[in-house]
Amino acid sequence: MADRDLSPIHGWDHDRGRTHISLNCLYTSKFRTRDRADLQTRAESNETSLKALEWGAFRRPGASDPLPKKSAGCAICESDDGLPVAVGEDFEYHTSPDTFLAMACQKCGLVYLNPQPTLEALDRIYPPDYHAYQFSAEQFGLVYYMRRRLEAQRLLSYCGSLGPEARILDLGCGDGFHLRLLRTFGKPGWRLEGVDASERAVEAGGRQGTEIHQGFLEHLDLPPASYDLALLIAVIEHVPNPVAVLEATWRLLKPGGTIVIVTDNTRSLDFALFGGRHWGGYHFPRHLYLFSPASMRALAAKTGFEVTGLETIVSPVNWVYSIRNGLVDYHAPRWLIDRFSLRSVSSLAVFTFLDTLLQWTGRGALLKVALRKPAA
Amino acid sequence: MQHRSRMPVAVIGAGVAGLTAAAFLRRHNVPVVLYEASKQISGLAASFYDDEGFSYDFGAHFVTNRLAAAIGIGDRCRDVHHYGETVFLRGRKHSYPFGLAALPRFAASALRSRAATWVGVEGRKPTTAAEWFRARYGAALADEVTLPLVEAWSGTTASELAPSVGEKLQANALGHAIFLKLAARWTGRAVANGYSHEMPESPHVWHVYPQGGVSLLCRKLAEGLHDSIRLESPVEQILVDRGEAVAVRANGVEQPVSAVVSTAPCSVLPKLLRGSNELDYLASFRYRPMIFVNLRFHGRGLLPDTVLWIPEGQFPFFRLTEATLSMPWLAPPGKTLITADIGAVVGDTAWTSADDQLGELCVEHLLPLIPDARSRYLGCHVLRTPFAYPVYHKGYEADRIRFESSIAISGLYSIGRNGEFAHILMEDVYWRTLKRMRQALVTRGEQ
Repeated sequence: MADRDLSPIHGWDHDRGRTHISLNCLYTSKFRTRDRADLQTRAESNETSLKALEWGAFRRPGASDPLPKKSAGCAICESDDGLPVAVGEDFEYHTSPDTFLAMACQKCGLVYLNPQPTLEALDRIYPPDYHAYQFSAEQFGLVYYMRRRLEAQRLLSYCGSLGPEARILDLGCGDGFHLRLLRTFGKPGWRLEGVDASERAVEAGGRQGTEIHQGFLEHLDLPPASYDLALLIAVIEHVPNPVAVLEATWRLLKPGGTIVIVTDNTRSLDFALFGGRHWGGYHFPRHLYLFSPASMRALAAKTGFEVTGLETIVSPVNWVYSIRNGLVDYHAPRWLIDRFSLRSVSSLAVFTFLDTLLQWTGRGALLKVALRKPAA
Repeated sequence: MQHRSRMPVAVIGAGVAGLTAAAFLRRHNVPVVLYEASKQISGLAASFYDDEGFSYDFGAHFVTNRLAAAIGIGDRCRDVHHYGETVFLRGRKHSYPFGLAALPRFAASALRSRAATWVGVEGRKPTTAAEWFRARYGAALADEVTLPLVEAWSGTTASELAPSVGEKLQANALGHAIFLKLAARWTGRAVANGYSHEMPESPHVWHVYPQGGVSLLCRKLAEGLHDSIRLESPVEQILVDRGEAVAVRANGVEQPVSAVVSTAPCSVLPKLLRGSNELDYLASFRYRPMIFVNLRFHGRGLLPDTVLWIPEGQFPFFRLTEATLSMPWLAPPGKTLITADIGAVVGDTAWTSADDQLGELCVEHLLPLIPDARSRYLGCHVLRTPFAYPVYHKGYEADRIRFESSIAISGLYSIGRNGEFAHILMEDVYWRTLKRMRQALVTRGEQ
């Protein structure tokens, strides 16, 4: 304690307590993945991983290397004339020591991550405990059943006008959750297919008997002008090139076919409040592009689709995660962080109510857009 | 014109601005050649290390988490948890700015000047920095603190400086500054406060420090540019033909170019230009040379806070920075580093003094502040730069404003802290350079 022996002069006060946040405190309060206890034990037994925490963002053991990244710009305007709006890190899964910058295009308002993880980083940023792979009745109980019911209603509203033998493609279908809902609640003659790049997701879907094509839509050899409806539900924000995805979908849709996009809304109150860092919709670093009604219209215009419907829909998820991310970032106690999760029925209920009020004013947390490929 | 756009853009200087410009152009598939006079990249962002475990930058550089994320080095940065400034006045320290503002004589004088402004008594626009600061902060605070500091910092009397000195240095509005200070306390992070003028400041933008020093920024920016960087290649001439930059000459070799992006001090440009005397007026622009005496000591916390401003003229330095109070890792445990900033003129006594002499001079003058400084003193490492700060002399203020709006030579861009002749810090250099290079691309596209 040489510092203490050579104490400061004149009795000047040196309250530097804040400058030395204990690593132990970081572990106990900041860590929040499902297998936290396991990772914590490993970390504590491994001094090198504790040391590794000193530089960069907090990360899980074994994730000390930075992600491969590339610079990016606005996918719609093809410019990189953006202004920085937020700096964040992977508050949810702690998959790397990187910090990430969200920028907003000055022309169309599209929010984009810059730099972005490259495709080689996919396996790291979607770890095996990623929630989309594990959303099951066993894991999520009541929330699973509530979401299932709500999603089924929404899906049927998108598909209501389709004929008895319509062909529907769910892009980024994960383990086929939506496809199974359509199978259960939709018309029996519908042909249901999914596309997903993840091997894990396709395997999970295959076990449930859904037809899933593995790969990136742009590279798959699917029959052109064959589908009546394409669904992009909580997907477009994840893809590295949303314009290419919409162009590929255009080729697959029949003339007059529709694509329904559901994504996070950057023209929402939750974005206005938390957009500087903790907004759940950033989902750093997995959401690469985030839309507002204006940038969504710009995307439609660029890809030749007609906008036939644009509205906001209710979701408590970004609210819950915005608060949770803030709590994680500021090292809140574990019990408080746990009040805000997809398992917390009470917080989901409160923010569903709040977002319902906001949705009435057109500022709900999610955007739902219907785009039509012109018939001629 | 079509054939010219295929020629490379010459970038002069491999510091933060030059590398940002070159990396941006390369990303947009514009060929670049980056000329650097010295043996290494980094310029004023260079970092130095010694065997004892001390590291030194040119002054205490601060980087934000936003800049680190933009460049992609967030994974190698560490949060700075605390930053604070104090002022040493009449033997006492006062926190800056709120501690000073709380002194009755300063508060009364500031309120008087504000009231005069509000009721329009002093409606006349200030014509010098002295008038600007007196109107803004009140005569007492200006005369006792701000103006002596501005004068030591610029080497010019405040009545000879243009009022834009104040406007350019102006920090956040009081309410926002208080909010950010509270946010820093609440979050335990050194929230940027008055650091960035180019991008908004918020509780989510704070200071970080890169592993191995600020030169990491440059090393990251230089990735993928190595085939374009020419070290030990000072540009000797910029050739201008009919008002347009067409070539550069370095190491005796002429390189035709489509544009020239210079980060050199703008006062050097007239000497480099051939074929135009359009920029001769820049030769009179002055920069304040600065000597950074990095003093090594036993102990920590020898100063009341990270930065201690010393407005009183009996001291050779006007600012002391104990960077280890913000960044403990810059010195080995139990030791500290205090940087004394001494304004100088190239060739004057201080500039030509031996390093040890400068160390002794500083230690001698530190005794009123640190009585046992001599017994703690371990030695010093001195860094000198002839181009530390632009001096906004009112004698060339009209020319400076002209230069700020346009450089008048097609295809020539003068960027970065020295190139723009602007008192901007590292993050602003980055964003402003990107903005200027985007404009350059548009111009190039139009050709």
